[in-house]
Amino acid sequence: MTRTVEALGASMSFFLLAIALVLQSHSAPKPQSQSPAANQQVTFNRDIAPILFRSCAGCHRPGEAGPFPLLTYKDAKSHARQIAAVTQTKFMPPWLPEPSDFKFADELHLTDQQIALIAKWVEGGAMEGAAFDLPPAPIFVEGWQMGRPDLIIKAERPYLLPAKGNDQYWNFIFRTPVNQTRWLKAMEIRPGDKHVVHHANVLVDRTQSARLQESSPGAGFAGMEIKIESEAFDPDSHFLFWKPGTVPYTEPDGMALRLDAGTDLVLNIHLQPSGKPEWIQPSLGLYFADRPATLYPMLLQLENDRKLDIPPGERNFIVTDEFTLPADASLLAIYPHAHYLGHDLQAFAKLPDGTTKSLIHIPNWNLNWQAVYRYASPVNLPAGTVISMRYSYDNSNENALNPNDPPKRVIRGNRSTDEMAHLWLQVLPRSAPGETGDPRRVLQEAMARHNVEKNPADFEAHYNLAAMLQARGELADAMEQYEQALRIRPEDPTVNNAFAAANIAASHPDEAIKYLAAALRSRPDYFDAHYNLGTALAMQGDFRGAVEHFRSAVRLNPQDANAEANLGGALAETGNWKEARMHLERALAIDPNHELARENLEQVKRESPHENK
Amino acid sequence: MGAVVFLFGFILSMAAGQQALDLGGSSKDPLKETPGKVVVLIFVRTDCPISNRYAPLLQEMSVKYGSEAAFWMVFPDKNESPERIRSYLQEFNYKLPALRDTEHSLVKKSGAKVTPEVAVFNLKRDLVYHGRIDDLYREYGKARRAATTHELADAIKAANKGVAPPSAAAEGVGCFISDLK
Repeated sequence: MTRTVEALGASMSFFLLAIALVLQSHSAPKPQSQSPAANQQVTFNRDIAPILFRSCAGCHRPGEAGPFPLLTYKDAKSHARQIAAVTQTKFMPPWLPEPSDFKFADELHLTDQQIALIAKWVEGGAMEGAAFDLPPAPIFVEGWQMGRPDLIIKAERPYLLPAKGNDQYWNFIFRTPVNQTRWLKAMEIRPGDKHVVHHANVLVDRTQSARLQESSPGAGFAGMEIKIESEAFDPDSHFLFWKPGTVPYTEPDGMALRLDAGTDLVLNIHLQPSGKPEWIQPSLGLYFADRPATLYPMLLQLENDRKLDIPPGERNFIVTDEFTLPADASLLAIYPHAHYLGHDLQAFAKLPDGTTKSLIHIPNWNLNWQAVYRYASPVNLPAGTVISMRYSYDNSNENALNPNDPPKRVIRGNRSTDEMAHLWLQVLPRSAPGETGDPRRVLQEAMARHNVEKNPADFEAHYNLAAMLQARGELADAMEQYEQALRIRPEDPTVNNAFAAANIAASHPDEAIKYLAAALRSRPDYFDAHYNLGTALAMQGDFRGAVEHFRSAVRLNPQDANAEANLGGALAETGNWKEARMHLERALAIDPNHELARENLEQVKRESPHENK
Repeated sequence: MGAVVFLFGFILSMAAGQQALDLGGSSKDPLKETPGKVVVLIFVRTDCPISNRYAPLLQEMSVKYGSEAAFWMVFPDKNESPERIRSYLQEFNYKLPALRDTEHSLVKKSGAKVTPEVAVFNLKRDLVYHGRIDDLYREYGKARRAATTHELADAIKAANKGVAPPSAAAEGVGCFISDLK
């Protein structure tokens, strides 16, 4: 008798997580700290040019986001009062955080002294001053900032931004043309016309889940907040972020980002109509590292969207969340996120020694200038540190960005007129002495438990915890969490499939079959469910049924070696040697190292010598 | 007597030199061009993102009120050449006549402070409104989703009826014209 199909590790539990992004930084000449004597006249050449060259010219130069250049006296003079006004109100340069306990890399804010100096220059007639006082003009790299990228990918189709209307959010999907795993050390995001792009995030979509939202391949799709399904235990790890003035950032040694064949990069872009139609066709420049990663950062998310129910007129609606770090970690970067009602955003770390540090404080939040902030040096957070967020929302008419006039009740949601309360942290967890294993798992599990406690009625919280427990082999606990998720969403195909997979692992194919049928009712083209159903039927000895579902799996994903191998094995069980052979050979063509396919093929050749040629 | 005549002539030529110019370089007084129509002057500069954003609305309004009001684009920056302005008008799909107000004579006549701003002159050529187009912008970088007041439209309608508009002036948000002296 030929060997039966092995119950291959019931396939793929997916882990639901939202958004991820990355920081780039801004480099510019250092400030010159000359200040004029009390009665001396303020001049452009001596006093103002150093400020503009350092803090403004990065964007205010041709081809960059600033609407006009600020590179010469003539440039500055023709906007002098405007410069004084926008620096006074701190609209420019766009830098939201107040100075707090830890410095950020490439801080862009002006000091009060610098702001006063600009005001004094304008009051004094915006004089040019002596030529010998003028510092050398800043030198900027043209084109790709780090030299020619190893790979340049361009959006398949441009997006036409209309001339008028409100802010637009668009997503481009880049199908990464790598045919083997590469390690990304840097990415330059070229968002298209920088005058109209407010910010852009790249999300790593390892499961090609965002493609489902495109009307046709390459079409892109609208939406401000998108959800990417990621595999369990491969948490999002890097912020890939662009804002005006961004210069690409190279990851520290060993911290490269994995990029597999078939990974999609989703560029989520925030655009503001400029008065004329604009074609936007972004490109990405990828720079690869020589070596795989050895350090694994991850993104932690604090949030409390369910508490968002902000009455009209409310000026100080507070939302909080707090999370206790179960392991030592270095905090590398932080990304606060709210929509237009967000007003005062703060995050703290209460250290085990009882002291509280401010991680970030944004007193006048403005979604249009959101950014990822990278710490100048990593912030050490010992196990037991309580990280907390405290966001205040202003839903009154006093909030100039309130999307509703008159104000109305606002709750959580993905549209820009809904609200959010998110705080993302990029941390590098460290194992405790003597502890083995991936320290990210400890953090992930603690985060998942925190979410279940915070939101007992939240589907994703239970699902994520279940997937994590299952991967760790704690099957009974995992199944309990899956059941809770199923109670909340009985028809959800993902959880039905995952629960079935757990039942297969626990040798309950009969149970599994019920849930896989439910998964396929909701999503008839669900590869995983067909694959798992084939497996469960094979476990029960129903090889004809198994063949049917493995065939569906192969049709849905012709490049999956496991599906081909199992189809071949099940066909062999039904005596269909010829087809069995064909599929086993195909499995080996996809993956020459597929042990099971090789063994089964040999077995088939032995059992059916008359088929041999 | 001769000296008086000479002096008189000198003043006249100064006044002519201060007038706005069309893109061909000829003096043009928009207040004398279209008798029987309300005159709307729109102050813009090519590098002001706020005035750029108003382009579709202003073009639409010039069509909507075309039979009752004559719209003129006014560029107060002497460094913006006729070529630059022509390509700007094309880029932003403006189909309005444009003037270069290099000496700021129209700016002064209109009390314009920032771009974008408008000035509305009635049939008797009295300035009846000057200031913002509407209240879309509350401050730099903070625009409403939609304007809640429409000062320019109100002023055109009132000027045509021969009555005073609801407000005679409203401060605009934009780029300071005084930076262009």
